[in-house]
Amino acid sequence: MFRWIKLGQVFDPTKGQGASWMQEYAQAPSVVVFDNHVRVYFSSRKRPDEKGRYITRLGYIDLARDNLFRIVGVSAEPILPLGERGGFDEFGTYPASIIKIGEGFRVYYTGFSRCESVPFNNAIGLAISDDNGVTFRKVGLGPVLSFSPDEPFVLGSPKIRRFHDVWYLWYCAGQKWIFNEGKPQPVYKIRMATSDDGLQWVKYGQNIVKDVLESDECQASADVFLFQGRYHMFFSYRYNLEYRSSGRGYRIGYAWSDDLFHWTRDDAQAGIEASPEGWDSESISYAHVFSLDGRVLMFYQGNEMGRYGFGLAQLDTYYSKPVIV
Amino acid sequence: MKWQKQGKIFDPADHQLVTGRGFYAQSPQTLILEDRVRVYFSTRTRDAVGKYLSHISFVDFDKTFRQIKGVAKKAVIPLGGLGCFDEHGIFPINVVRDGEDVLAYTTGWNRKVSVSVDAAIGLAVSQNDGLTFGKVGAGPILAASLHEPFLVADAFVAIFGGVYHMWYIYGLRWLEHCQEGDPQRVYKIAHATSYDGMSWKRESRPIIPDRLNADECQALPTVIEYKGAYHMYFCYREASGFRNDRTRGYRLGYAQSTDLKAWTRNDCEAGIDLSETGWDSEMMCYPHVFHCDGEVLMLYNGNEFGRDGFGLARLCE
Repeated sequence: MFRWIKLGQVFDPTKGQGASWMQEYAQAPSVVVFDNHVRVYFSSRKRPDEKGRYITRLGYIDLARDNLFRIVGVSAEPILPLGERGGFDEFGTYPASIIKIGEGFRVYYTGFSRCESVPFNNAIGLAISDDNGVTFRKVGLGPVLSFSPDEPFVLGSPKIRRFHDVWYLWYCAGQKWIFNEGKPQPVYKIRMATSDDGLQWVKYGQNIVKDVLESDECQASADVFLFQGRYHMFFSYRYNLEYRSSGRGYRIGYAWSDDLFHWTRDDAQAGIEASPEGWDSESISYAHVFSLDGRVLMFYQGNEMGRYGFGLAQLDTYYSKPVIV
Repeated sequence: MKWQKQGKIFDPADHQLVTGRGFYAQSPQTLILEDRVRVYFSTRTRDAVGKYLSHISFVDFDKTFRQIKGVAKKAVIPLGGLGCFDEHGIFPINVVRDGEDVLAYTTGWNRKVSVSVDAAIGLAVSQNDGLTFGKVGAGPILAASLHEPFLVADAFVAIFGGVYHMWYIYGLRWLEHCQEGDPQRVYKIAHATSYDGMSWKRESRPIIPDRLNADECQALPTVIEYKGAYHMYFCYREASGFRNDRTRGYRLGYAQSTDLKAWTRNDCEAGIDLSETGWDSEMMCYPHVFHCDGEVLMLYNGNEFGRDGFGLARLCE
């Protein structure tokens, strides 16, 4: 059982706190800790084009390590190029997960392409950094994780981890598109894959978190954290349709595992919910949990899928729930 | 190699197919049965917005190819559902007998916004001698990968020495500023191997050198073993201007190998070229080479990418 204390909103792009290209949205925070600052990577956007379409790009802000509410740096430009014409990532790079292993940085990110019968498709790309995480270059023009017979489309929201010299990738995979008021909406579930090198992946091939809302429940952003001898997953889930209306949008779910493959869902243990009012009162999602100087912290995005940025919570108490025999 | 053309043997306009009286019979590929040769091909319909959808059908010939025994009376394999890789067409289909099963490697097409299409390779299985096929899943078995960014297509699978070999193509780039006014694709032939026909290890590099230029498009490889060597036929063309200009359109290329790894391209030895006049005088494409009753035969399409059907040639040297 977790209990989190919200510390408040950290970054709101609509208030001009970031770079000029960060006009709306600060989504899917992902952290790398440096000596004197904490770099929070996230995806942001310029205002949409005449058809209302956005292109989402990757950037970061640096926060003072001793005061995570003080911005000490910002990426003046997006740090990962868009794909070439016809590429899987031509129209956006979001969400992303960054990992630092030794001196090496990697970003696993979701590429967006635009389609005729459905609005978009996604696959997962890989890029590396030669300048300590300031900019990234792609390992190849194509995706590092793509479609397969039972993961036919919409592979997104990667979360990269490494435990015991094995690479783990949690991600969501589309299962079907369903029509809602004439517009197709994807149904996607959390899946996982493992790898020895982070390049060649073996898919586990099963949904790993059971549904609680409905069979068309959408699940994403499976953030896994090793803490007190157990693996904990904070993920996001919502109803498929009308998820922008109250009570149907994203919230943060929870599951635990002792072997990284078999997960027991128990959302009651998540210990964090939307606030009664304010920037995170309608929906919360895309949690990222990390340790810093003896504290356990969570960044998460608020209303309208992070349109007004992200905030911080601190773990207050945790106790392992007793097994009831 | 030297081939003797037997002429056009199938015109889709002469037959009532499942999708209606046909136009286009593209990329003929064979399944040899006891008393007949089943020739699969892609035919087309138009959808509500007037764009083409390719569908798989077949025609059965007797083993001399003199007589048509019938055409498919049922849909051979359905197109994919909303958002799937094969939602907007299947073209082509390559069939391989594997014990009691017949495997079909399909190329599925889906429409995009900034470019016309993307493609990936699917797998389907038949247990009724290829009358109908069931897909192993809604998604592809071979899609874009780190070094194959799009347009993974045109699988040809053969089992040699217990190893499944696949020759296929992948896209390198989309060319801007072409005479067509929209981006045109560049693709090359590649190779992958497998021990189960399902999981493939790819080399992710072009294996056939260009003859025209770096933007040469290479398509539809087909490979046979014959007289101690492996022979590959394929088609190739310029990246733009290929639809209406005879000098830039599809021709047949040829390469040879003794180890299935290193290929020597030598189009001069293909032994087959455009006719002076007639149905295959402007273009030749989508070759399929196969053994049948002790002979080596080739099916291929002619002008307009096979709009009016396909023809047959017989290896004589």
